[in-house]
Amino acid sequence: MEHVRPSTLDEALEGLAAPDAKALAGGQSLLPVMKLRIVRPSVLVDIGRLELGGVHMSENELRLGALTTWNELESAQELERPALAALAECASGIGDLQVRNRGTLGGSLAHADPASDMPAVVLALGAQIVLRAASGERTVSAEEFFLGPFTTALGPAELITEVVFPLVEGSGSAYVKVEHPASGFALAGAAAVVRPDGGQSVALTGMGGQAFLLASDANPVDALPDAEIYGDRFAPVEYRRHLAGVVARRALDRARERMEGTGE
Amino acid sequence: MSESVIGVSRPRVDAPDKVTGATHFAADGHVHGLLHARLVLSTEAHALLQRVERDAALAMPGVVAVLTADDLPLASAGSDRTTEPLARTEVVFAGQPVALVVAESEAAAEDAVEAVVVEYEPLPAVVDVEDAMLPGRALARVLEEDAGGGDLESIHAGVDKGQEDGEEEQLSGNVLDTVHRNAGDATALLETSDVVVSGTFRTPWVYQAYIEPQVATAWLEPNETLVVSTSTQGSFVTQRELARAFGLPLERIRVIAEPLGGAFGGKLALMEPLAAGAALALRRPVRVVLTRAEDFQATNPASAQVTHLKIGARKDGTLTAIAARMIVDRGSNAGWGVEGITSLLVAGPYRWEAHEIRGYGVQTNRFTFGAYRGPGAPTAAFALETLMDELAVELELDPLELRLQNAVVEDDVGVSGNPFPRMGAVEVLERIRTHPLWQSRDSLPDNEGVGLAAGYWPGGNEPAAAVCRVNQDGTMTVVTSAVDMSGVNTGFAAIAAETFGLSPDQVRVVAADTATGPYSGASGGSKVTYTVGKAVLKAAEAAREKLLAAASDELEIAPADLEVVDGVVRAVGAPDHSITVAEISGKALRFGGRYEPIEGHGGSAQTRGAPSVAAHLAHARVDRETGEITLLAHVIAQDVGRALNPALVEGQMRGGAAQGIGWALYEELVHDENGQLLTGSFLDYAIPLAERVPDIDTLIVEVPAPDGPFGAKGIGEAPVIAAAPAIANAVAAAVGIRLRELPMTAPRVWATLEESGA
Ligand SMILES: Cc1cc2nc3c(=O)[nH]c(=O)nc-3n(C[C@H](O)[C@H](O)[C@H](O)COP(=O)(O)OP(=O)(O)OC[C@H]3O[C@@H](n4cnc5c(N)ncnc54)[C@H](O)[C@@H]3O)c2cc1C
Repeated sequence: MEHVRPSTLDEALEGLAAPDAKALAGGQSLLPVMKLRIVRPSVLVDIGRLELGGVHMSENELRLGALTTWNELESAQELERPALAALAECASGIGDLQVRNRGTLGGSLAHADPASDMPAVVLALGAQIVLRAASGERTVSAEEFFLGPFTTALGPAELITEVVFPLVEGSGSAYVKVEHPASGFALAGAAAVVRPDGGQSVALTGMGGQAFLLASDANPVDALPDAEIYGDRFAPVEYRRHLAGVVARRALDRARERMEGTGE
Repeated sequence: MSESVIGVSRPRVDAPDKVTGATHFAADGHVHGLLHARLVLSTEAHALLQRVERDAALAMPGVVAVLTADDLPLASAGSDRTTEPLARTEVVFAGQPVALVVAESEAAAEDAVEAVVVEYEPLPAVVDVEDAMLPGRALARVLEEDAGGGDLESIHAGVDKGQEDGEEEQLSGNVLDTVHRNAGDATALLETSDVVVSGTFRTPWVYQAYIEPQVATAWLEPNETLVVSTSTQGSFVTQRELARAFGLPLERIRVIAEPLGGAFGGKLALMEPLAAGAALALRRPVRVVLTRAEDFQATNPASAQVTHLKIGARKDGTLTAIAARMIVDRGSNAGWGVEGITSLLVAGPYRWEAHEIRGYGVQTNRFTFGAYRGPGAPTAAFALETLMDELAVELELDPLELRLQNAVVEDDVGVSGNPFPRMGAVEVLERIRTHPLWQSRDSLPDNEGVGLAAGYWPGGNEPAAAVCRVNQDGTMTVVTSAVDMSGVNTGFAAIAAETFGLSPDQVRVVAADTATGPYSGASGGSKVTYTVGKAVLKAAEAAREKLLAAASDELEIAPADLEVVDGVVRAVGAPDHSITVAEISGKALRFGGRYEPIEGHGGSAQTRGAPSVAAHLAHARVDRETGEITLLAHVIAQDVGRALNPALVEGQMRGGAAQGIGWALYEELVHDENGQLLTGSFLDYAIPLAERVPDIDTLIVEVPAPDGPFGAKGIGEAPVIAAAPAIANAVAAAVGIRLRELPMTAPRVWATLEESGA
């Protein structure tokens, strides 16, 4: 296995053109699967030196670089507002401090673990994901991005560079999960956004093969047929279905409290 | 006298090295020419081994050998992990080692493991322990092997097997052992009791989860001595096990116990036969280090258990009789199981007029059973203490008063048939009674509750010896062969310092090995301070006699008129007449010296037990919607005999309670119906993380053990025992449901709440 550490995006994309090449960001998902010998990249393209970090806030949008770590999200003062509170709330509940110091937003979205937390938040906040390949840049919505368990719209030699969140002034957001007792991943997680015009969005994660946005009139408990709900000893199907309703309601309540300034 | 060092909190003597990374653990030693072994683990839970195809692995760079059972110079047939470290013809659990790949580097060995192809002929996997007992059921082991007969059972608690059994119960060959304890007519008494409660309780396989995975290194000295440097709880027991495995005389085996990175009962002669077998076969040094994944699969966790229990009482709260049927899943362990101890401890620290208790040790195709802090005890306490609480509700009595009313006192005869030694069951309950948390139990917010439970550990005995040597500079070196587990060496330093007349920082404690040290049993069974500590005390006394004899000669004062204070020998009442320990030692330890070295040897052979009892209070909140339990506070009151070093005692109490919280809420090794492990990593196997363990309030109660050093007794195991039932009782107090299975996971709590309509 080859290990390269490019300093420009173009070099990185060039490295990724090799068959079975893999980008390495924080390594918090990739290294564990390599250790289990499930993934054996021919080339490991360490993107850690690329300028893909940073929290950039403008008047009507927030841009987060793909290499933004959970810890940076947790502690970024720009995000301390009801409209974006779900981001820090979600990040602070991921793994432990060591994981949050290394793990990145881009890595998590690209990995698309069906039980991972942040996909729900990205979906509920209506984010756009910016992708770069040697052939150029494209933008896909969060909804178009997640295709199934560990499967996304990302091409083989493509990188996430940024995630762009529209800012809806006066809205409130929240993320609530029931944790897996060992891994801390979501047995069921819900991100909610409540807008002053009365609109709301809820996205669920941990329920089945991928995080998804709930239709505006859907009852979270009935969002998925039994066959699509994951069931295991940590959360049998019936329990997980029930949890969807609990986390969705709690996330909505908290988002509303934040919007109305009645919460923390 | 200067101030006593007994009862004073001090940091552990091993703390600075551990904190700064200076401690040399078993995997750190540099051995010239070392080979690295990796295990090939069985992918089948039950199968006949057809063929191990090794050519592809052997062809890989750096690979030295692929060894199977036939390649190891094993002495005899046998089916325990000592005599059968690699499966011979029959594989009896998924994860059982079937071959060793030995290579020049760990990486080469690891790569080559994948290239070893093992062919199996699958047999039905026996995984349901209750079903496995029924006559005619498939056997978890079909080929007859000698059951072994090792030395490992007695390490934890020597308990008898109860009465000979007259009645014949029809059982399958999976039942390897039965225990029957009985006195009086329990059945009749239960029928006439005013109140009877009963239930069936299940507890899972639980992993010790020590930080340092299992590791052992072995090599042959030029004189053919087999040296094993290892992470173990006991050097002498490992030496004996290796002698049994390879048919070698004891003098040809030297076991060096390296500083331990956690064990909790799990590190007793499991990896050493593999490392030693490979070293003997290849005549090169070999190290076996398990990865965490291997450690989950291939070691010896605490066994699962099913307990059917029924207890009764009179209206006034007097307990009448206890009837229990306890089924212990031993996995592949033919040598021993916890049916003996669990069937004793299920009676708790209470008086019964009659008892009828049966225990069964049943083989299945799951792991090899091993010891884990208080083997068999948390499971027994979960059943009994849950029912004690239910009894209190039925009787409309306070649960604490009910326990107090029936708590054993000295000379009450237990279900072992023997009288209880002095033990502070009453004292710990009384201490809990006044605790603010107990006082506030009826004025808590909705969905919160406080639960109480108690449990005891009988402690263990094994003769032990120690040496105290005074050095030229007047400092002392204490030599034992005890493995420093849970801070015992720090206790030895205090015992020696206090007895001899030094300050503890003038005392070093060193661990010797089987070639050089005085005898000591394994660290386990809560017996080290009580037995080895007593030997240290006697050794320090013997050294002090030598000191006083020499000082008497120097000062021309009778020994009886001398005292030793902080390293100075002086005349009682005339402190100016003095000489330092260093001066005397200097006159002894030199060419032409005048005195015998100031050195003492001491031994102990404790015969009376020194049980330790602990009561727990748990404060829990239940989220009715998700079933999640949050612990808000936890209190433990424990009779520790005498707290030689309160900080360390409190550390044991906290650690035990935390592991009990693991039993209660998180820990569960689960197999599927084919015997495949489903929770073989920390991503699936939950342990109580620091953020989930509340502050634990520790209440030290001191009821001195008459034979213990300064009244101390073994305290390591008692604190884990009753934590889980205290939490279960808190859950009942909070939301009115009783869980009969551990751990009390969120989906179980939710499902129980749904069923109860509560
Ligand atoms: C102990 C532990 C606990 C955890 N707990 C949680 C939890 O509770 N909730 C949760 O959601 N997650 C959890 N995680 C996962 C964690 O959040 C990871 O950090 C994250 O999933 C991956 O980010 P990374 O930067 O480490 O990615 P890597 O591991 O470096 O990469 C992951 C994958 O993404 C690809 N990739 C990385 N960056 C990019 C990019 N910019 N563009 C395209 N592809 C890219 C890689 O090629 C690889 O395929 C946990 C992980 C650990 C080890």
